[in-house]
Amino acid sequence: MNNVLEIRDLATHFFTRDGVVRAVDGVSFDLASGETLGIVGESGCGKSVTALSILRLISPETGRIVSGSIRFDGRELTTLSDEEMRSIRGHQISMIFQEPMTSLNPVLTVGTQIAENIVRHRNLSWSAALDRAHEMLDLVKISDSRRRLDEYPHQLSGGMRQRVMIAIALSCNPRVLIADEPTTALDVTIQAQILGLMLELKEKLGTAIIMITHDLGVIAETTQRVVVMYAGHKVEEAPVEELFARAMHPYTRGLLRAIPRTDADAELAGRRRRLQEIPGIVPALTRPITGCPFAPRCAFVAARCRAERPPLEEPEAGHTVACWEMRRVLEAAA
Amino acid sequence: MTAYIIRRLLATIPVMIVVAVFVFFLLRLAPGDPAAIIAGEDATAEAIAAVRAKLGLDRPVLEQFVLWLSGLAHGDFGVSIFSNLPVTHLIAQRIEPTLALTVSTLIVAVSLAIPMGVVAAWKARGLVDRAVMAFAVMGFALPVFLVGYVLIFIFAIQLGWLPVQGYSPIREGFLPFLASLVLPSMALGTAYVALIARITRASMLEVLSQDYIRTANSKGLTTRRVLMLHALKNASVPIVTVIGIGIALLISGVVITETVFNIPGLGRLTVDAVLKRDYPIVQGLIIVFAGAKVLVNLLIDISYAFLDPRIRY
Amino acid sequence: MTAIADDAVPALRLARFGEAIRRNPTILIGAVLLAGLVTIAVFAPWISGDPFRLSPVNRLRPPSERWWFGTDRFGRDVFALTIHGARVSLIVGLSVALISSAIGLAIGLVCGYFRWVDAVVMRVMDGLMAIPSILLAIALITLTRPGLGIVIVAIIIPEVPRVSRVVRSVALSIRSQPYIESAVAGGTRSGKLLVRHILPNTVAPLIVQGTYVCASAMLIEAGLSFLGAGVPPEIPSWGNIIAQGRTFFQIAPWSILIPGAFLAITVLAVNMLGDGLRDRLDPRLARRM
Repeated sequence: MNNVLEIRDLATHFFTRDGVVRAVDGVSFDLASGETLGIVGESGCGKSVTALSILRLISPETGRIVSGSIRFDGRELTTLSDEEMRSIRGHQISMIFQEPMTSLNPVLTVGTQIAENIVRHRNLSWSAALDRAHEMLDLVKISDSRRRLDEYPHQLSGGMRQRVMIAIALSCNPRVLIADEPTTALDVTIQAQILGLMLELKEKLGTAIIMITHDLGVIAETTQRVVVMYAGHKVEEAPVEELFARAMHPYTRGLLRAIPRTDADAELAGRRRRLQEIPGIVPALTRPITGCPFAPRCAFVAARCRAERPPLEEPEAGHTVACWEMRRVLEAAA
Repeated sequence: MTAYIIRRLLATIPVMIVVAVFVFFLLRLAPGDPAAIIAGEDATAEAIAAVRAKLGLDRPVLEQFVLWLSGLAHGDFGVSIFSNLPVTHLIAQRIEPTLALTVSTLIVAVSLAIPMGVVAAWKARGLVDRAVMAFAVMGFALPVFLVGYVLIFIFAIQLGWLPVQGYSPIREGFLPFLASLVLPSMALGTAYVALIARITRASMLEVLSQDYIRTANSKGLTTRRVLMLHALKNASVPIVTVIGIGIALLISGVVITETVFNIPGLGRLTVDAVLKRDYPIVQGLIIVFAGAKVLVNLLIDISYAFLDPRIRY
Repeated sequence: MTAIADDAVPALRLARFGEAIRRNPTILIGAVLLAGLVTIAVFAPWISGDPFRLSPVNRLRPPSERWWFGTDRFGRDVFALTIHGARVSLIVGLSVALISSAIGLAIGLVCGYFRWVDAVVMRVMDGLMAIPSILLAIALITLTRPGLGIVIVAIIIPEVPRVSRVVRSVALSIRSQPYIESAVAGGTRSGKLLVRHILPNTVAPLIVQGTYVCASAMLIEAGLSFLGAGVPPEIPSWGNIIAQGRTFFQIAPWSILIPGAFLAITVLAVNMLGDGLRDRLDPRLARRM
């Protein structure tokens, strides 16, 4: 299995009136071909910015990639011209966004918005593209697809709009699909449908997916490997079962403990406790952080944590963590 | 869709009624005896009575109104006091230059202003943006006659490239026709271009920050398509609205422009009629101009349905 | 709702206002220009000579040391004419702005609040707005004896509908707020609601619209005078001066270009003031206008 995406030391900063916001400050990970990778973390940790950086969608007036490398199939993306990036977007790497209500253009028909992607990248005629758009609508299981082609986004429900977004994103058979909180704005039953659809299509088309979310439930259901981000840094990475069973970073453990548990057995077994929250708040990203970014909120914090940033180590195969106290964390969990 | 169009059409009726009523009563509401005022300061009693008879002011008000309205419905706008010619005839005589001027200004202004606004919004805070904004602010403050005279001074007097004044009808040659329209259109259109460019920029800026533009960019569509289709179509409702509002600017400006450039159109007719206090002509012209404005606004209302599907349903 | 001391709020607003003006150059430039023009206009008789002093022997002289702006066809000092003309424009602009704002405020408040009045009155306003303002003013002037007062009234009438629209939209949006509905249900008198809740919110848009009306009025007055249908020629108005400069424009362009430039600068200053105020008082206004 080769890597379709290789990201090394990506740093994306925003230049605001109040200072430089280091939204992403040295993140590295790989995405293997056909794999589903999850990126999880709370709001503001830099996961969306990472995604936007891959496609270089950060608006130049507000910020830019200041350092790092993003290799797509061996090709360096950070140095490509705008034209070259435009032929990759929607074609080899696609993205879907969180708000299906506002992510579709209200004055263009659904058919147009799908077909134009195909015309742009596959050079088909408009009618051939519309046929393909029709196929895509069937693929994402939208009923009455012929009629929907001529309808406008405001005539569709939230779930249907997200299906349309998926149809657009997959219309040119991309190698990578980046999904930025695709189901957060939808209600739970629709959520399940959309996620199921995405996995099904992934099997069919062999697309690699980067699933960005703050919801560990989504992570558990859809991903194979997970990257945990905090304050613009990667703090842990592991295969999904390994992460849930043996997370080694205090932040990850905090996230896992914060999942509400409703099983009565846990109470019987004496394992159910009060819902644990992580005390404190996320650090401001306008000042460089000395030491571990999670130190102010960490239950396992030691003197070294505040002084020096822990490097990423690999205590077990495929499982990387950035924590000085990872041994203590593991012992405490056992 | 047709229901929408019909509704918009019907909405114009009350407006035109108000205009008609207003115009009718204007004459009778003025302080003093309208016939006397129209006849002039040193008119004799007979002259005043003659004017009164001519204007039909000696008959009961309601009768006058009904007569006048039915006249309007039949295309009879009354007769000029001084020339005794029907007002419609006078208007038909002078309408070509005014139409040519307004249409050419409209076309040129829109074709210049919208691209200006789009580029300014796209490269916000850049050089083009600042230049466009500066022009928009200044252009709106420049009175039509000032621009006209400056243009005449530079291009007609100093450089001699274009005629100082006058209008060349289209049947006397297309090139002289165009040449006679260049300076007047520029003078008339300056404020209009400023207004449209400004709204285009503002509207585009708002649209460009929307999520669907981010989606369009993430599809790798060309910048041109994102700007001109995805963005502009969404920005178009306020732009088209302002184009309609600006028609009022154009119509007011036409009167002045025709005076500056000595163009024998409806604007000049208005001025002449006002100075001679030939009220029937003024009356007729107000209705024609108001009607034109209402028609334009109707067309603009209808265009909304084509531009934004949410308005249709 | 009255938890924050009512008297603290206006003071806060004033302080913010002052600081906002200091930070925003557009307002400053506009205000400074305007202040300069007003000063010149007010002290006109002391600054320049008599604008009506005819001196046929000195007609059509270009700008020089003696006549800063040259002379017109009657040998009158264009500088004196221009300065006196400023008075007319400013008087017209200011009075039209103030009066039409007052009338528009009244109409807008009533229409925005009482729906049955709204339906009727707004139709009338629509009809008035359908008639291009210069034509309306011209028609009104045709019917009466010429004079400065008449011109002012004639310009007020087409401007009122615009102001009332703005006030009305503010009134409508506040009227539909739940807390107003409950106040009405609770028996609060309309007058009190209008004055205490709706009126304060109309102040900012009204001021901004007022500046635009002022600029528009100055342009219309100049246009009317230019056409010969404005202030009578005995009163020097920029429009009049320009009209009189027409015949000899080719050899003496200064008698048109200079008063014209003054008009443009004045209107520009007022517009800048309006824009700057709008941006500062409430950025959301930008969309409504």
